[in-house]
Amino acid sequence: MTKAMFVIVAFIVVGVVSAAHSVADEAPISGTVKAIDTSGKTLTLQTTAKGKTRDVTIVLKPESRILRFARSTEPGKTGFVEHSLSISDLKPGWIVSVTTKHEGGNEVAETVTVVMER
Amino acid sequence: MRAKLFTSLAIGVLGLLVGLWLVHPPATRANGDKHEEKGGHAHVPAPLEYADVHVPLSVWTDPALIARGKEIYTTRCAVCHGDQGDGKGPAGVALPLKPSDFHDKDGVAEMRDNYWFWRVSEGGQVEPFKGKGSAMPPWKSDLSVEDRWAVMAYQHTFSGHNGPHVPWEHPESVAMGRDIFAMACVPCHGVAGKGDGSVGPMLAPRRAPQPRDFTSAEFKFRSTPSGQLPTTADLFRTLTEGVRSSGGPMTIGLRGHRIMPSFQHMPVAQRLEVLEYVKSLNRGFWERGAVKTVTVPAAPTLTPERLARGKKLYADAECLACHGERGRGDGPSASTLKDNRNLPIGTTDLTRPERFKNGARPEDVYRTLVTGLAGTPMPSYGDSLEPDQLWDLVYYVLSLSRGGRTAEAGSR
Repeated sequence: MTKAMFVIVAFIVVGVVSAAHSVADEAPISGTVKAIDTSGKTLTLQTTAKGKTRDVTIVLKPESRILRFARSTEPGKTGFVEHSLSISDLKPGWIVSVTTKHEGGNEVAETVTVVMER
Repeated sequence: MRAKLFTSLAIGVLGLLVGLWLVHPPATRANGDKHEEKGGHAHVPAPLEYADVHVPLSVWTDPALIARGKEIYTTRCAVCHGDQGDGKGPAGVALPLKPSDFHDKDGVAEMRDNYWFWRVSEGGQVEPFKGKGSAMPPWKSDLSVEDRWAVMAYQHTFSGHNGPHVPWEHPESVAMGRDIFAMACVPCHGVAGKGDGSVGPMLAPRRAPQPRDFTSAEFKFRSTPSGQLPTTADLFRTLTEGVRSSGGPMTIGLRGHRIMPSFQHMPVAQRLEVLEYVKSLNRGFWERGAVKTVTVPAAPTLTPERLARGKKLYADAECLACHGERGRGDGPSASTLKDNRNLPIGTTDLTRPERFKNGARPEDVYRTLVTGLAGTPMPSYGDSLEPDQLWDLVYYVLSLSRGGRTAEAGSR
């Protein structure tokens, strides 16, 4: 009986922890670019969640992607084409959306998508 | 043994589901609309500064404007909302708050035009959308008012609805306001808002004031020029503060009491919802175009000379014919006055500023003199008196509560 209870509790704990972990990793962050540190490879976003505005520092790794979508210039094609940007292309004031994962207490960017340049 | 293992596994899977539910509970019903239930955007009332921006009816079906809207949409909106308006543009996929799907007929029908204009203008940079992580950019600096209307008209075509996007085409857009109206307003204002509720006549039998007929063009308390409909802010003020009886010989028994209750305890969002429903009863709110309000210039300094000029104006403009020499509402014409329903109407006792229905601050009295009170014998002096003369009269009227000796402003 004690063994069975242990198995049940273990399943519940694993379930909660894994669910929380998976959601946190998938939650995108959107905000306005406040600062860019090209040497430190970080991006500071001003973002608001649950009514509170805060600055979030996003770490960019070599595998992080920065994307901008623009209309195709090829004749006959009207859809959007993905363009890869580098961190130095980003400008303060741009609105971006970032998917991140937690690594060593940092928010590490998987994909940074430019929503609006201004 | 096998059965025990099966039970353990089943409970474990249940635990996993409970864990997922705890982390990611079902969307809650933020403001009661179906679109929000589906995880969409909360269609909260537009704030007062946007509440009067009703899109002209012709915009929704104007082919030239729709074509212009398509051009703008294709270059500015489609990257998130998608070329097909389905909210599946390439940049929208990873957004925390998914871009609107304009094919969602229910969601589009629940959006009021002023809400839509507010969202296009301010984007996700205002609450409650900012707090939800909306990345929608504000377009008010980049697009003119007409361009924003054009984009909305084009987005509207995705919903498949062909007529103008107005409450009488989409009653669901004012459903919450209609429910509040049914609970709080129908007894006096009637089911259709014509001011013919069952309680109204009991408030003041066979005499004015009677509950407002929202379908008519006449609203007493406005900041708009004579003959025009009020702003939403005017309606909000009346709803919040209620309306006091003005006193005077014809309102015995009601003096100083509120003939319309104050709804200041109703949450602001609900007051705004009910006002959207009230406006939907009168198409004039959509047909009037840009709203102009009366400008109240800065109050000048009070001097004895100004007060003396005000006293002379009070006589020359025949205020004393109704309000009486001392402002007590007992002028020679007071007992003969009737409103636009031919009901006897009392004259405001100017010695009791706390009973002024349209407010008793100097700027309130100035505004009342300029706008008049539609449907009552109180005329507009906006065309006949200069601003400086109006201030003279304001100060004199407010001095009547102190026997004409001082001019300290009353308070609301």
